[in-house]
Amino acid sequence: MSGPGVREALSWPRVVAWGWFYQLKMQAQSGFMLMTAVIQPLIFASIAMADQQAGNHGLPILYYALGAGIMGIWSTVVFGCGGALSWQRHQGTLEPLVMVPAPFVLVLLGISLGTATVGLYSMAATLLWAAVVFRAHVQMADPYLFTLGAVVTVVSLGLLGLVMGSSFVLYRNANAISNMIEYPVWLVTGLLVPLSLLPGWSHPLAYALAPTWGVEALRAAAFGGQPLPAIGWCLLASLGYLALGVWLVGVVERRARKSATLNFQ
Amino acid sequence: MSAAGEVAAPAQPGRHFWRVFLIGGLISYRALFYWITPWQYIPTMLAAPTFQILFFVYLGRAAGVGSTAFFVVGNCIQICSMSGIYGMTMAISNERFFQTLSPILATPSDRLAVFLGRGLPVLISGFQTCCFGFLVSALILGFRPAPAELPQLLLAVLVTSASCTGFGMALGSIGLRVRDVFLIANIAYFMVLLVCGVEVPLHQLPLPLRALAQILPLTHGIAAGRLLAAGRAGAAPLLDILLEGLVGVCWATAAYLLFRYFERSGRRSGAFDRL
Repeated sequence: MSGPGVREALSWPRVVAWGWFYQLKMQAQSGFMLMTAVIQPLIFASIAMADQQAGNHGLPILYYALGAGIMGIWSTVVFGCGGALSWQRHQGTLEPLVMVPAPFVLVLLGISLGTATVGLYSMAATLLWAAVVFRAHVQMADPYLFTLGAVVTVVSLGLLGLVMGSSFVLYRNANAISNMIEYPVWLVTGLLVPLSLLPGWSHPLAYALAPTWGVEALRAAAFGGQPLPAIGWCLLASLGYLALGVWLVGVVERRARKSATLNFQ
Repeated sequence: MSAAGEVAAPAQPGRHFWRVFLIGGLISYRALFYWITPWQYIPTMLAAPTFQILFFVYLGRAAGVGSTAFFVVGNCIQICSMSGIYGMTMAISNERFFQTLSPILATPSDRLAVFLGRGLPVLISGFQTCCFGFLVSALILGFRPAPAELPQLLLAVLVTSASCTGFGMALGSIGLRVRDVFLIANIAYFMVLLVCGVEVPLHQLPLPLRALAQILPLTHGIAAGRLLAAGRAGAAPLLDILLEGLVGVCWATAAYLLFRYFERSGRRSGAFDRL
């Protein structure tokens, strides 16, 4: 690689970091995203916890709090990343973003990771809610691995958001897909319903989705299990999403340039 | 005015009311309801509610609370609020967003016809979504309501769709004043899942939430639906349907009064379409 090429490559982390930072700032001020990241997960956590108390108490409250927290991260990813490119196009900022010298995939990566990071609000909110309202004993058996698991989960969901963000741009009604895929992923990845209760045909789908491994890692770290294998699977899934995302962004960018739809709603 | 300078006879007031109510309502629905195209309607109004039903049925099984029928009836009736809450919010407050509120309020049309006409297509859409939910539940989850009570169950669904539409009208009217009414609509949509006995038996909720449930749409309609689906006809479900209708009328009345209030204050301040 030549000198300018090396310098350019060295600037890539900076592009991602600034993208992440500005997206985080913007999303943190969006009422809709705060609703998605905080209020909605609290309502779902309350429903699950109230049902647990009314039912057989088969699973601890913390089990539901962790699941509802990742539900919130997934929702922010679905609505934030899924609509990110469409929103940029609607605002007329997609064209300048594509034109800048930095690779477009890095711009989108920063946006996706920033959106997924906002989802961490939901994890904090549901854990606090479980402790304060439902008097759950919220203590992590291994807080360090729990933190590592949370970071890896956010990164993997952000990268899944990169895949969605790039593919949704081809579809004018991206928000309709976002509305549709929230519940199925919550269900098949075992966030509130154990995978053992779901039909066997849904398991391969669950294993391909990062929330399955993310929630397994967090539950293992919280309840004293072995979180490392799940963290490893989450990282592996992240690499797969990254490769798919880079390829998809390239394809979509070429198609959008060719059809001149970068600034067309 | 005719070519000869004669003044045309004014339209009969009653006929004009129904024209604005039916045709105006339909046009506003087509113009302002985002999810009307098949690409939006199928994923949002049919697929998402189906997944919602499945999600909560499985959650109930995992928690060991309620039966499949408990969650099927609760969710199938609740999904009408998607049309009622979001549809009505769009149908009223989007006039402001698209800057078309001033021309509408400048017309001499009967405000009640303008206002209520928007509710009819939304009500029908909500009813349709509920029926689709029941159909899918029958096919996928083997849900079988008592056949003899089916007409009354449909009545409960229809009345609940109407009361949700009334509730949505109130939210839409608030949208004539507040900046981000869709945030309120989203919170309202998810709150009814928790409060109205959709997913959690009402007696499990704290007293303030149970009291709140009594004045919200869905609570009585779902209670009636559960009794009827279990084949328990009689005075109790009819009373619940009646209460659901009353809740809907109260919300629609409050919505209309809010609408007129915001119209008057908008005229005074000249700020109908201010975003």
